[in-house]
Amino acid sequence: MGVLSAIQPFELHHHHTASTTSPLKGDYYQYLAKFKCGDERKEAADQSMKTYQNNTPESIRLISMQTFTSMMNEILNPSTPKSTVSSIFKTLIHSLLHSPESHHSQILKLITDLSSHHPSLAQLALDSLQSMLPQLTDPPSQLTIEYLDALVNISERPVEVDDSLFTSICLAASFPVRLWMVRNSGCRVMVRPKLLYPVLMGMTKEPYPCVREESLEALVRLGECAVFEEVSLVKGCYERGVQLLSDNEDCVRISAVRVVALWGLMLASFNVDMKTYWSNEVFAMLCSVVRDMNMKVRVEVFNGLGKMEIVSKELLMQSLSKRVLVLDQSPTEQFVLLASNVAGALVHGVEDEFFEVRKSVCQSLRALTVLSVEFAHAALNLLMDVLNDYKVEVRFQALETMHHMAINHCLELQENYMHKFLDVLEDNSSEVRFSARKIVRLMKLRNHLLFKSTMDVLLKNLDSYPQDEADIFSVLSHLGRNHKQFVDLIANEIADEVTASFEGNREFNSARMAALLVLSISAPFLNADVGPIPPVIFSFAATFLSRICCAFSDVMNRDTLLEYLIQKSSSMVQPEVNISNGEGQNPLAKDDVQNVAGNEMIHSEITINNGEGQLPLSKYNVQNVALEMKPPNDVGQHKQPVHDSVVLTYINYILVKLPNIWPKVQSYSANEVLCSLRHWKEELTSLTFDSSAPADASAFALLYLKIIKLVVEVWDHLVRKTEVVSGTVELEDKLEKLDRRAKELMNRFVGFSAEEEISVLELILLTYTLRLCRAEICSRNFIFKRMTIIYLRTESFLKLRSDVASGFVAELGNLIRESSNGGASCSSLAFDNCLKLFSPKRLMIPEGIRHRRAELSIPNNCPDYPLPFAPGLTASIPCDITIHNISSNCRAWVRMCINDGFTQHVYLDLQSFEVSGEVRKISYAVPYYRTPEVDSFNLKVCIGLESLFENVTPVQAHGGPKCELVLLCEEKIVYLSRVL
Amino acid sequence: MAIETLVLGAGQEVGKSCVVVNINGKRIMFDCGMHMGVSDHRRYPNFSLISPTGDFDTALSCIIITHLYCINTLFLRFHYFLIIKISHSLILYSYIFFFGIICDSHLDHLGALVYFTEVCGFHGPIYMTYPTKALAPLMLEDYRKVLVERRGEEEQFNSDHIAECMKKVIAVDLRQTIQVDKDLQIRAYYAGHVLGAAMFHAKVGDSEMVYTGDYNMTPDRHLGAAQIDRLRLDLLITESTYGTTIRDSKYAREREFLDAVHKCVSAGGKVLIPTFGLGRAQELCILMDDYWERMNLKVPIYFSAGLTKQANVYYKMLINWTSQKIKDSYPTNNAFDFKNVCKYERSVLDTPGPCVLFASPGMISGGLSLEVFKRWAPFENTLVALPGYCLPGTVGHVLMSKPPKIELDPNTKIDVRCQVHQLAFSPHTDSKGIMDLIKFLSPKHVILVHGEKPKMVSLKEKIHSEMGIPCYHPANNETVSVPSTVYVKAQASDAFMERCLKPNFKLHKCSSQELSIKTLTDKNIVPELQVINEKAVFIVEDKSKKLKVVHNDEVLVMLGEKKTED
Repeated sequence: MGVLSAIQPFELHHHHTASTTSPLKGDYYQYLAKFKCGDERKEAADQSMKTYQNNTPESIRLISMQTFTSMMNEILNPSTPKSTVSSIFKTLIHSLLHSPESHHSQILKLITDLSSHHPSLAQLALDSLQSMLPQLTDPPSQLTIEYLDALVNISERPVEVDDSLFTSICLAASFPVRLWMVRNSGCRVMVRPKLLYPVLMGMTKEPYPCVREESLEALVRLGECAVFEEVSLVKGCYERGVQLLSDNEDCVRISAVRVVALWGLMLASFNVDMKTYWSNEVFAMLCSVVRDMNMKVRVEVFNGLGKMEIVSKELLMQSLSKRVLVLDQSPTEQFVLLASNVAGALVHGVEDEFFEVRKSVCQSLRALTVLSVEFAHAALNLLMDVLNDYKVEVRFQALETMHHMAINHCLELQENYMHKFLDVLEDNSSEVRFSARKIVRLMKLRNHLLFKSTMDVLLKNLDSYPQDEADIFSVLSHLGRNHKQFVDLIANEIADEVTASFEGNREFNSARMAALLVLSISAPFLNADVGPIPPVIFSFAATFLSRICCAFSDVMNRDTLLEYLIQKSSSMVQPEVNISNGEGQNPLAKDDVQNVAGNEMIHSEITINNGEGQLPLSKYNVQNVALEMKPPNDVGQHKQPVHDSVVLTYINYILVKLPNIWPKVQSYSANEVLCSLRHWKEELTSLTFDSSAPADASAFALLYLKIIKLVVEVWDHLVRKTEVVSGTVELEDKLEKLDRRAKELMNRFVGFSAEEEISVLELILLTYTLRLCRAEICSRNFIFKRMTIIYLRTESFLKLRSDVASGFVAELGNLIRESSNGGASCSSLAFDNCLKLFSPKRLMIPEGIRHRRAELSIPNNCPDYPLPFAPGLTASIPCDITIHNISSNCRAWVRMCINDGFTQHVYLDLQSFEVSGEVRKISYAVPYYRTPEVDSFNLKVCIGLESLFENVTPVQAHGGPKCELVLLCEEKIVYLSRVL
Repeated sequence: MAIETLVLGAGQEVGKSCVVVNINGKRIMFDCGMHMGVSDHRRYPNFSLISPTGDFDTALSCIIITHLYCINTLFLRFHYFLIIKISHSLILYSYIFFFGIICDSHLDHLGALVYFTEVCGFHGPIYMTYPTKALAPLMLEDYRKVLVERRGEEEQFNSDHIAECMKKVIAVDLRQTIQVDKDLQIRAYYAGHVLGAAMFHAKVGDSEMVYTGDYNMTPDRHLGAAQIDRLRLDLLITESTYGTTIRDSKYAREREFLDAVHKCVSAGGKVLIPTFGLGRAQELCILMDDYWERMNLKVPIYFSAGLTKQANVYYKMLINWTSQKIKDSYPTNNAFDFKNVCKYERSVLDTPGPCVLFASPGMISGGLSLEVFKRWAPFENTLVALPGYCLPGTVGHVLMSKPPKIELDPNTKIDVRCQVHQLAFSPHTDSKGIMDLIKFLSPKHVILVHGEKPKMVSLKEKIHSEMGIPCYHPANNETVSVPSTVYVKAQASDAFMERCLKPNFKLHKCSSQELSIKTLTDKNIVPELQVINEKAVFIVEDKSKKLKVVHNDEVLVMLGEKKTED
């Protein structure tokens, strides 16, 4: 700043007359403001503004371009102080009054920018500009328009203009002024429709084409928003549009077509009796300009045709034939008049050189095909030709139109068309293929040959476009649902192929297999009768669950599909399917259903009862599910990595099966059960994961399985009272293990829902019960106490959900209440009875389940490279710790055990961890205090979490954790050796 | 004033296009064709009608050539030798045939040009489009050779004449306005039909007219549809080759063709498409290349003959004259660089497996196409697709009747077991197209040329009855005179000018009484609400006999007490 202050006297001196030529001084301060910063800058800017403001009108003239630029900079700069902005604003308004007109447009521009950047000043700007406006209107000039333009730009709402101003501007001698007014009337400038209409009508006679064009456009706007009660006004406008259809200028004709389309329809809707008559007139009028040489005119024409609401069938048919039709019955007078105009209009459009036109034709056909079934059939011929178009856009539009027709039940693909249509399924543009498949979904094929060829094309598609898999499956599922009778015909073929493939007799093409499975399982979807489809197909399909579930996403989600498959695949339990009319026809659902299958069967409600208890999921309503599964949801599923969802599905699949095996446990065939449990366990451990969610889920499932396995093993001993072959030690060991695992299950997983939590709690209760059946008196009370706690917790959960306790829990509850003085009084027989009531609940992997775990590594430590220590002094053990899914309010400890049994705990401050999502990391040198007087020793290190779950017997280790620790990782051995 | 149209050729006949138009004293000759069917003086237009003294330079302002068709020159040389080699019996036919082709293919617009400029002596400017100028010397040279060397006729002009003639040619671009002289300006518009074809708009003073030449209103795969502005025409001279035909959608025929080809190749068969090197061949090739691309077909397409390469070079060069499709794709890939088309080698003929072969010449009149035909025809899974008309005497023509055997000569008989597909397109507009063009341009008068008389008559009736435009169909050497627009200069008063600058209108509403008198149809014609310009003016002839336009407010002042009537 020193430099600047040094310059100042010199500068002012240099300008000698600085005090009188204040604009220059103002400029100087401006200049200063550019270089200074902070408060000083603000000061300088303010000062410059003040100087400008105090200027005399004469000196204002001297405001240079540079000043405008610097003002602009101030305005655009968001850090300019408010006071400076408002002084700039005042200066600008002031200078509007005093500076010459040549400056006005720049000043207005500045005011506009200022208002847009500082909305608080907008209203003020509007008011001041509005107050200045009246002085400028006589006669209206370019300047008036600039003022209005600024007004319109500043105001967010359309500006209202009084009638006299409007008319005077519209009748102004200068043509750009008129043009501006016409262009903005009805959108940014509000004028009474009563006044606007005649003025615009008059302006259509302008010699300037752009004014004619804009006035027609303004009429279109007017027609869209205003309501006219007088038919003559509408008719007048329509007829003016018709006259201008033959204007010499292209741009005028384009707008004229829009006027004719819009006002023509308005005219038609005036009188119900005359509606057809006038609609026909408008239709013919538009068709008559279909051969215009300007592409945009033609596009507009077809856009207009696409808005027709009613057209007589004869005229529609005429538009498909270049020759004038000879009608069977005597044609109406109107038809004779109009036929030659209409002849071949659509054919010409389809043949057009410009794809924009062809596209527009296809779009217009959407509206027109609805008007007459006969026409729709004829137009289909045209559309089939368009499928050969070289432009993807056009082919796509044609297919979309056909889809639209299919929804409206006016698409009838004959066999000779089918051939062509199936070609389109192989198109190399993905959007065309998708669109074509959309139509296949809605199709009802006549004979099984067509069905077969459609199926073949889709399967071939799967090979050539593997990226379309999800969509193809979905189409196949619709195809199957709509053509059960044809699927039945080839069911055996499919079954043979699939079985051969699965047994490895044939090359395994998984995509093809999945596709065939989709087709066959979808056939009996809406029908109880499985037909010739063998149940094994359904179990095969279950293995593809996550791959194929999207194919049914319109009617059911993955879980329900799985249930459906299990239901159908189990030959023991026959599904009970009630077909009844769905409750009340939901209009929303109806629309959706039309898209889905287009037949009324979908309204049926499917109820699948299963043997053991009903899950809420097992009872579903197709309609409701269809509503829930909106496409976005669908997309979300697609994005999920396939592998993960496969894993999740598989885990769920296993968990669901568990309850089914329970009867076998009870019927004393434990070995069989153990075998399958072991098998599942192996499979689970062999899984690999791409992301954490399925890993957590599988950890949960694995633990769950282990517990079940232990339960089954122990059960055999305890409940069946079989002779213990390998001795009581082993049993005790197993019970111990069971206890530990149960605790782990409770502590190491978070994110259960209440229902799942109850299942888990029940399982833990089971483990305690098992122990109570067996345990000696000494530990009995302790275990009973723990069980009571768990029971109370279960009960509270049940109450919360107002659920009924299962037989097992209820019986247990009675037992606990009876023996409130301690478990000692209860006989093991009583518990035995409880056990008989137990059956595992059906459990699905909770979606948000998180596995609490830790990773511990001690870098650079192995038997060959031990850590150094000095006996008696504290040794530091460098640990890299990563913990997952543990919130900061948990209490985590590092537990270190030496061989002699001494344990030391070190508290881990979770706050000090480096957090990223659910993962916390730290590199921490853990101190070990009691180094022994030895040359070397090993330390077992692991990380544990205080279990807050059952606070029965606090571990009263001094300075250690208050509650029992649940280990989060495997113990690590640290090697230490004495420093020599 | 009037526009006088002297029809020297193509009056009530097809071929020998030559029309001389006199607009406000300027004489323009549109096209300078010759008739190929005759060899005497009738072959050329009767130029003496233009100027009995032979002083054409003063009689004519310029010559405008709308288009030519070059394919047949390229094919002529090639074709001629082969026919002689193959069969004796075909020679006679071949003459007729290829002259027929020339007739049909538009030497009729240019053939007599060299004769007229060099032999008769015309030194004025000749205008044609760039493609036409590029291809014209090639064609004329070929034509001369055929005429002189093969037919042994007396030489009408030599190679130097052609070169000299081409020196006088000025090339024009589309929509380029050319000031021929002070009064006459001409402008070319795109006409479709063949590469480089154009419609010409001529304007002398206030009179305007358009001469169409041949044009096509529906786009091809490779050439677009005709395009023209809405003009205020006094006269439109249009061709009327297909004056009574209405064609159905081309799409349907294309679809059938593609379906047939696809069916054949997917069954492992071979497809033979006999075509000429230029024009139709390109169109079909684009069609099939697209289809192959879309359907991911891998069956090879072969294109025989080096002439295609040459033809494609012209097309690539003149991309601006092709259809929108080709222009659209031009920045990314040239549509004439066919992706699925392979170079033909002789070994292809005996390679097993499906393929598509384009072989010249068309109509299977000889050359490779005949050779291939002989080899492939006995197989049932072969498809022969004939794109276009086959003249009597060619194998193609015989084939259309699907005979079990074709006898080429007493020693050669071919068993025909193959399938035959016929595919007919024409690059000429149909009657609907003619009507559409006339409707769009709404000229004051129409003259029909280049068509057969009965068709012209029927079209003329139609134009007259449907559009109320007077229409003529003069025979050769007849002159039609139609009135032309002449604007008269008048002075405008200041008051009038001032009023003109401002919009000045009022809405007029018919009273309900007035309406009730009218019939329903009248009601439709006369809107209830009309916008009426209030610029009512009077034209006053003052003492100096000059016209003056004044505003009606001024009228009373000027006329003093005299009352005027509306």
